[in-house]
Amino acid sequence: MSNRTEEYLKDIPMKPYDLLREGLIVLGLATVVVVILAAVFRSPDYPTVRGEDVANLEPIAFLQTSADILAGNHGVQDYGPPYTSDSENAQSLLGVAPANWFGATIPVDPTEDLVLRPLQRVAILNSDVANALQEYQAASPDEQQTWVTAYLDALDEATETNGEVSIPPGDYGPVPTMMNGMLALGRAGLLEGALDSGSGLPYSLDNTKSLLFFQDDVDAAVAETLDMKGDQWGVSNETGRFPGAWWLWPYAFLYQIPPMSSSPNADLQAIAIAFAAFLLLLLLPFIPIIRWLPRHLGIHRLIWRDWYRRSENVRPKADGPRGSINA
Amino acid sequence: MSMNLTRSAQRFLTGNLTLEDALPTRMPVYVSSVAYLFGVTALSAIGVLVVTGVTMSVFGPEWYHGGEAPGSGVGRFVNAIHFWSVQLLFFALIAHVATKYAMAAWRDGRWKTWMVGALALGVAIFSALTGFLAQTNWDSQWIAVQAKDALNAVGIGAFFNTMNTGQVLTLHVVALPLLLGLLVGVHLFFIRRDGPVKPIDARPQDEQSN
Repeated sequence: MSNRTEEYLKDIPMKPYDLLREGLIVLGLATVVVVILAAVFRSPDYPTVRGEDVANLEPIAFLQTSADILAGNHGVQDYGPPYTSDSENAQSLLGVAPANWFGATIPVDPTEDLVLRPLQRVAILNSDVANALQEYQAASPDEQQTWVTAYLDALDEATETNGEVSIPPGDYGPVPTMMNGMLALGRAGLLEGALDSGSGLPYSLDNTKSLLFFQDDVDAAVAETLDMKGDQWGVSNETGRFPGAWWLWPYAFLYQIPPMSSSPNADLQAIAIAFAAFLLLLLLPFIPIIRWLPRHLGIHRLIWRDWYRRSENVRPKADGPRGSINA
Repeated sequence: MSMNLTRSAQRFLTGNLTLEDALPTRMPVYVSSVAYLFGVTALSAIGVLVVTGVTMSVFGPEWYHGGEAPGSGVGRFVNAIHFWSVQLLFFALIAHVATKYAMAAWRDGRWKTWMVGALALGVAIFSALTGFLAQTNWDSQWIAVQAKDALNAVGIGAFFNTMNTGQVLTLHVVALPLLLGLLVGVHLFFIRRDGPVKPIDARPQDEQSN
């Protein structure tokens, strides 16, 4: 034993101990427990929401998503850093907006990156889409917006028969042809590839754009059916009846109470509180009251009950021994 | 004359961590409670996580999703063991922190042990987040687009993109396990060097022993 340990434990009786034996027994038991849990319950593996599935099963939702993005309504359109350079929508707390410190490090232009660029690939294969795209890009921004808005309104009354989507007649310009091009891209299973192929790497492992595509309505609708939205304590939930990241319950709880439950700065507020709580935990040995509390809680008397029981059976030497610690 | 680094290391180890400290065959009698088992349970869970994680990294994502690849049933099972080991790890960690708090285990100069342990807990939570993100299933998809907002809000999103599967995967299987391993190693060094903290208000030996 080192001098340090010898000195610290010089007043304490010792008992035989086998660290490796104890460690191996616990390791064995832990392994048995997780193997049994894995064998009985398996593990969650809910399939991803893919463009192909949405295009085939929910074509109207697919068209609405594409048209919404084209109209400039995507969630990251005016998001601010790290996707866009505008800074006014970045979350702030007490006037501080950390998101703005580093600028647009992951630039995303939703209209361009999520719709127009994939359509340029479709245009190579489909001359109708090529002409529609050319017409759209030649039009004024006001005209483009008028077409897309009218088309989005028409989609509210759209019907679907055997996968074919019909909308009321109207002046939508080239937008229906473009959106049908996006739908074809999705049905062909090529949407994700078209979205993620712009990173410059032939074997891209960056799925930023394909994950952003459905994030607003489609993903949110799926999440709602699985109790995984933020107001459903989603951050700590798992699909099915599996336990999720339940250790994040305190963090998820923050989103359920004011001001986080309705604040546009909820994430920053919740993270700030969680960080303060972590600092409290980290620096706990130096924080008055909290560091003294265990002595008064008395739980230590349960943990060390054998020791204290022995202590009670022993009288200080000055009064003579009252009993044995081994009694 | 230049300093002999090897001799310095020898002195450091003999002064701070003898073989009896590192692998003790004796323990103070007050170490007698189930509360002392949560730490080793967490270590055991980490051990199972490393074994199953390395196994999955060898065979790849298609294997542990249980797809068409040969042996995928086994892969899915290994993935399930990994999943439940995470659950066991956090159960053990939360119990470990709670009992160490109740024992005021930072006393007698053990504040460094406590603080390194708290940092390791933080890294474990972040590591678990990257694990959820690296599954390449619906969980990953949804958590990626949700968690990004919190990370972006504090500026971390400029460097860590939850939707960049490559970055998420390498963080989860290399960088974070190394960091966690380092912190756990330092935590264990302090634990073994200093020995288990005495009970609160422990009487000296001359009042205790027979």
